[in-house]
Amino acid sequence: MTDVERGQPSPEHLLEAVLLVSAGPINRADLSSATGLSTQEMQTALSALAERYAPETSGIVLRSVAGGYQLSTNPNCSGAVERFRAEARPAPLSGAAHEVLSCALYLGPLTRGAVSRVRGVNSDAVVRSLIERQLLAEVGTDQDAPGSPALLGVTDEFLAATGTSSLDDFPSLESLVTQEELSRVRDRLAPGATPPDAGSVPP
Amino acid sequence: MTFEPAGRSLSDFTVELDVYSGPYEWLLALILKDELEIFEVPLRELVGSYLGSREQGAATGLERDIDFAGSAAALILLKSRTLSPALDAEAEGGEDEALSPEELAERLTEYLKIRRAAERLREIFASNAGHYPSAHTLPPKPGRLRIKPDRVTLAARQTFSRLIEPPVRHLGPITVTLQELAGMIRAALARGPVSYENLTRDMDRLNRAVTFAAALSLAQEGGLTLAQTEPLGPLTLKPSA
Repeated sequence: MTDVERGQPSPEHLLEAVLLVSAGPINRADLSSATGLSTQEMQTALSALAERYAPETSGIVLRSVAGGYQLSTNPNCSGAVERFRAEARPAPLSGAAHEVLSCALYLGPLTRGAVSRVRGVNSDAVVRSLIERQLLAEVGTDQDAPGSPALLGVTDEFLAATGTSSLDDFPSLESLVTQEELSRVRDRLAPGATPPDAGSVPP
Repeated sequence: MTFEPAGRSLSDFTVELDVYSGPYEWLLALILKDELEIFEVPLRELVGSYLGSREQGAATGLERDIDFAGSAAALILLKSRTLSPALDAEAEGGEDEALSPEELAERLTEYLKIRRAAERLREIFASNAGHYPSAHTLPPKPGRLRIKPDRVTLAARQTFSRLIEPPVRHLGPITVTLQELAGMIRAALARGPVSYENLTRDMDRLNRAVTFAAALSLAQEGGLTLAQTEPLGPLTLKPSA
């Protein structure tokens, strides 16, 4: 006789129930604490849930993001969800916002001033917008700098939005640019190099 | 940077941009309040949008064109300054010296990497869009599963911490109680008024202090009265009438 037949919830049912009521990812320790399941029981149950909530077979998917697990709607069903909620999908981030997030992701934690220095333009407005969207957060202060400015870092919401479990899931910064590209930049700035055509710069 | 008032002639002009959709006047306000980065606003599209909205032969056409040209010129100036931080640095005292070609190349290569990372990030965001988690949100307390150890430690420290007590080692052991000294004062007062000086003549510093506290306590209870003719003058203890 199974647990279900005896009226007892199975490990999958326990995990499923806890995951359903959480708006954010839950890590294994919290799942174990809430359900009382052992590591082995959880692993088996999570595998079963991942199969049950696969994007091909369900409107709900089990995601492994931000160091935890989260039930969310299948992106294929997002249109219906958005119509039901009577709200549009959040506006995509601007190019500047992606650059600021990249700074925090690869060079962070870093100050607002450091972000602006890397980008060459003041980035305070973009930082403020990203903090409001909870993709960026103040994670500490730079004690060595005058005034101890806040240090910015990416958040768990950022990891969830990018479908990643940790910062290690992102490719290295060096791998994103080729040596040819870097050489071209250096060649353009070499003494005697021809400046780029001013007309080709977009306004 | 300030804008000249755009005038009400542009109040009906709305713009549709990737970064903003709505009245043009609000767009200017958002830029001025730093809610929107001028760097993000495509000025060419903005001008094209205005030209598309013009009505030939309208009564206020000229006034409208002038207002738009004035505000658009201010936007161009603001954007050009934003894109040229060196100009701002110069105006603020010129702390940044001109970069050497090597330093500039270093900065540009670093920026190029960030630019490529941003492009990759855009793809990652796009491919993960449309995941909506449960709309149910847990109340923060009680029943919160996540306990932050550092916050618990801080709360415990605040709860159990006490002020540092002043050192009393120099006072030596306390060998007399307030009650004993009160009894001694009462016995002295039975013979009539007595000066505090005479009462404590043979006592050490600690006993004098405790005797004074005992006298104050008795005075408060009405067991005696304290008389002092001048500040810091001789103190006399008198039996209550």
